[in-house]
Amino acid sequence: MLQTLSSTTPPVIESGNQTKTRARVSRDDRNTAGHPFVDKPRMSCRDVNVYYGDKKAINSVSIDIAENEVLAMIGPSGCGKSTFLRCLNRMNDTIAICRVDGTIKLDDQDIYDKKIDVVPLRAQVGMVFQKPNPFPKSIYENVAYGPRIHGLADAKTELDAIVERSLIKAGLWDEVKDRLDQPGTGLSGGQQQRLCIARAIAVGPEVILMDEPCSALDPIATATIEELISELKLQYTIVIVTHNMQQAARVSQRTAYFHLGDLLEVGQTDKLFTRPSHQLTEDYITGRFG
Amino acid sequence: MIQKSVTIIAVAVALLAGSALGTSKAIARDYVSIVGSSTVYPFATTVAEQFGKSTKFRTPKVESTGSGGGLKLFCSGIGVSHPDISNASRRIKKSEYDTCQANGIEDIIEVKVGYDGIVLANSKKSITMKLARKDIFLALAKQVPDSKTGKLINNPYRTWKEVNPSLPDTRIEVLGPPPTSGTRDAFAELAMEGGAKTFADLTALRKARGDEVKILMDKLGIPENAYNEKGKTVFKLVAHSIREDGVYIEAGENDNLIVQKLEANPDALGIFGFSFLDQNEDKVQGSFIDGHLPTFEGISDGSYPVSRPLYFYVKKAHVSVIPGISGYLEEFTSDKAWGDEGYLADKGMIPMPDEERTKFSTDVKNLTPLVWQ
Amino acid sequence: MSTEKTMHIVQRGLGKRYRQEKIFKLMGLSAILFSLAFLVFLFSSIFLNGYKAFYQTAVSIDIFFDPAVLEVKDPASANYNGLIKESLRNAFPEVKKRKQKKNLYGLVSTSASFHLRDMVLADPGLVGQTKTIWLLADDDVDMLMKSYIDRDLPQADRRMNDLEISWVDKLIAEGRVTSRFNIGFFTNGDSREPESAGIMGAAMGSMYMLAITLALAFPIGIGAAIYLEEFAVKNRLTDIIEVNINNLAAVPSIVFGLLGLAVFLNFFELPRSAPLVGGLVLFLMTLPTIIITGRVALQSVPPSIREAALGIGASKMQAVFHHVLPLAMPGMLTGTIIGMARALGESAPLLMIGMVAFIVDIPTGITDPATALPVQIYLWADSPERAFVERTSAAIMVLLTFLILMNGTAVYLRSKFERRW
Ligand SMILES: Nc1ncnc2c1ncn2[C@@H]1O[C@H](COP(=O)(O)OP(=O)(O)OP(=O)(O)O)[C@@H](O)[C@H]1O
Ligand SMILES: [Mg+2]
Repeated sequence: MLQTLSSTTPPVIESGNQTKTRARVSRDDRNTAGHPFVDKPRMSCRDVNVYYGDKKAINSVSIDIAENEVLAMIGPSGCGKSTFLRCLNRMNDTIAICRVDGTIKLDDQDIYDKKIDVVPLRAQVGMVFQKPNPFPKSIYENVAYGPRIHGLADAKTELDAIVERSLIKAGLWDEVKDRLDQPGTGLSGGQQQRLCIARAIAVGPEVILMDEPCSALDPIATATIEELISELKLQYTIVIVTHNMQQAARVSQRTAYFHLGDLLEVGQTDKLFTRPSHQLTEDYITGRFG
Repeated sequence: MIQKSVTIIAVAVALLAGSALGTSKAIARDYVSIVGSSTVYPFATTVAEQFGKSTKFRTPKVESTGSGGGLKLFCSGIGVSHPDISNASRRIKKSEYDTCQANGIEDIIEVKVGYDGIVLANSKKSITMKLARKDIFLALAKQVPDSKTGKLINNPYRTWKEVNPSLPDTRIEVLGPPPTSGTRDAFAELAMEGGAKTFADLTALRKARGDEVKILMDKLGIPENAYNEKGKTVFKLVAHSIREDGVYIEAGENDNLIVQKLEANPDALGIFGFSFLDQNEDKVQGSFIDGHLPTFEGISDGSYPVSRPLYFYVKKAHVSVIPGISGYLEEFTSDKAWGDEGYLADKGMIPMPDEERTKFSTDVKNLTPLVWQ
Repeated sequence: MSTEKTMHIVQRGLGKRYRQEKIFKLMGLSAILFSLAFLVFLFSSIFLNGYKAFYQTAVSIDIFFDPAVLEVKDPASANYNGLIKESLRNAFPEVKKRKQKKNLYGLVSTSASFHLRDMVLADPGLVGQTKTIWLLADDDVDMLMKSYIDRDLPQADRRMNDLEISWVDKLIAEGRVTSRFNIGFFTNGDSREPESAGIMGAAMGSMYMLAITLALAFPIGIGAAIYLEEFAVKNRLTDIIEVNINNLAAVPSIVFGLLGLAVFLNFFELPRSAPLVGGLVLFLMTLPTIIITGRVALQSVPPSIREAALGIGASKMQAVFHHVLPLAMPGMLTGTIIGMARALGESAPLLMIGMVAFIVDIPTGITDPATALPVQIYLWADSPERAFVERTSAAIMVLLTFLILMNGTAVYLRSKFERRW
């Protein structure tokens, strides 16, 4: 019943009737349990290894990401969630000692192919970081920057419209519409994070990667962002890293559990949390881990 | 926008650098370029300024490079990038003259301009010292002949009284210029050598050659590795070595500084040029050397022993090319400049006797080149 | 119970901790006071030595613009000195002896005749008139007025004899001696006569040099810093380059002078003593400093800013130029200004390229012969004339003012543009 890592068989389609009791996978098994593959994936990763210098941070991970789903990635600190997420839009290229092998495809196109230009890739696969990092410029400039460098708007009115639309989508418009010319760094933490989301969606990405977007926020701001994610998934494919299991349960359809560089289990969120198949997954979600 | 300005700056820099490096050679020079001795510098600059301000020519540029440095630049070639005139506080050496010849500077006009005295001075608060050159040598040389054996020993003297019983019982402490300075060279040559020559063995060494040198060196206890076929070289080595045990204090090239230090320390003596004594008569006094005070008259007539002639050298080939050279020469050799009552005398230069002045001003007028005998 | 015990232990150590803190604070404070005292001493001694140089003694003399002297072919080369001598003889008819007359003429600066010449050339109508004119006094008179010459000393021990002093006293009694602001000090070039020496030539030389240094060092230094920090791959070669840049920053400045002599003067045959060459040498000298401070400024920009830009698809160049560089700019400017201030105070390398020179004419371009402010200070400090002592201090004050202004600009830029993230 296990999906072997090297499997080249067609992806298993997850269906409702596959929920019969499974044998618990032992702690020592480093293979991926559950259902990492989907039909018609938006992105598909096969045998991805990531090294920082000589140190291996991701060990042969294979997973698919489906269209318009929210995939949550959980796991203990240092297990490689951020590292893997950053592979998906090649942000790891900015780290000199970081090396990636394996294949990662976006719509059947290998994004690590030599011919691929990272600039349009990153416009297609946007990213929101753990710590809000608005540019020290005005709110308007923060959002308008992406469309401007990509030449998405020909006229000022068009740009204004993009800015407004993005801020509305990010749920920030009402709070900032009167002070668009004020510095983005002057906003509250939660507002800043929503500004960063607005900035990411202003360039019209298809996939949005979020690395613990709520880790610095209070429960109210967190709720706003979670609501936002639920709305965004109608249009976008979202991968979110989180330490908050309730959050993963609330916002995601599927959840992936990472452990020391291995992807141990992937499954429907409700099932993974209620009936995990890997022993370590269970340890982690029940808090017995460590 | 930033990128654009970066590009503009980059282009501007490239152009600037390119044009800067491209301008080589061709720039014609419309001012006289003078280099050389720092002793002659105050006088050359005064003449240059007078000349520049009273004529339509530009004021000559005067660099203070030291005599040796100046002649090196001077002899490096003909053309606008090389100086026209070099000042020197000593005569040009044969080797320098030969370099000049080798570099195509065949005709050099030698102009002696006057004299400079080197004084040993102390604060007015103390008594005037009455020194002989022998005393100076014994007080300052690194090695002196032992009063009994005659062999050279490390200088044992601590007070002037030990050097010469008629001198006061104060510690020897002399502030003077560092070895790089022309004043130090002249001092060593005129005062120290003069003192060393008062010892028979050293005088003999100076004249000796070959084996004689070896014998004398043995007699004086000079180590063999100092041997040179010419006794004069060994002699100079002895006479020019100034002690390094803290008695002689190198006070830097700045003579003003030495004057200030003398004021603060009445026991110390200082070595500097006559013009600084002239300007600071209220603070410091010159010492007698061999019975003569450093006075204007004494230096001029040669009775004061520690004085040296000052020169400058002119490239004949430049005179007709660089505007202003002949005017500058005329100004320098005019009576109102280098005469007995001239403004250079006011600046502390000791004028030459009339006959010498006439000789050199005729040389300048006729552009008579120097012929090495 | 255990908390009580803990509290007890904490309390016991508390006294010692506060004592240490107090001692440290005291040490810090005394270090500051110590250096402050030195600074105050330095500044006040320079000021006390030099402030009098900003005033200059002038004497007024009735000059008859004698047509017999002035109506010659070329009025520019007429004997203006003769006019002054004539007037002085008339003012002191009792002076008869040749030697005394010479001393009398010495009351007025030798530059006074040039002043008269300029007056006549500007207004030929003066010829034939008699005018009372303020002329610069000789530096000895100036020294007497500023009480640097002690009247109580025996005659032989001072630069002015009793007779000369009596002439000055007579002029004072007639109200013909005044002390006025020394404009010439700021507008003249160098001179061998202290009373007419000024710093304009040196200041212009410094300015031309710094302009060239800045024009080259800023763009090249910043460009190199950006390339090394943001674009260059980290390998052996870049390591070697980095080590060498750090070494270059520590190389004594005279070495750059030697380099300038070999490369710019001997190889490219650029003119000696020109601000162009000085600027190039100082450029080489400041470049490493600017690169190093530029890199530090770039490093201090948080990486999150770069990631933010890259994350929405900015190219590396866009991320650097749109976001990183503006944030690093204040730091880079500070580094540049400090480098420029160091270049302004540098004299050793200029020695090698012939800028330690006596130059009277104020330079009007980058290839004219010129000196620089620190060189002027060095040259004056080495001049025998007593009156140059106060001018040296005054020139130091001017240089310090420039340095303080530049460093002040650096502090201002820093506080103005420094952003908090
Ligand atoms: N830039 C880097 N250089 C070297 N090693 C790194 C770097 N970034 C991460 N690592 C290492 O890679 C491993 C995975 O790190 P990563 O940041 O992906 O963990 P994470 O799962 O995101 O943890 P957290 O939940 O704490 O954010 C860790 O062991 C970490 O030390
Ligand atoms: Mg992480």
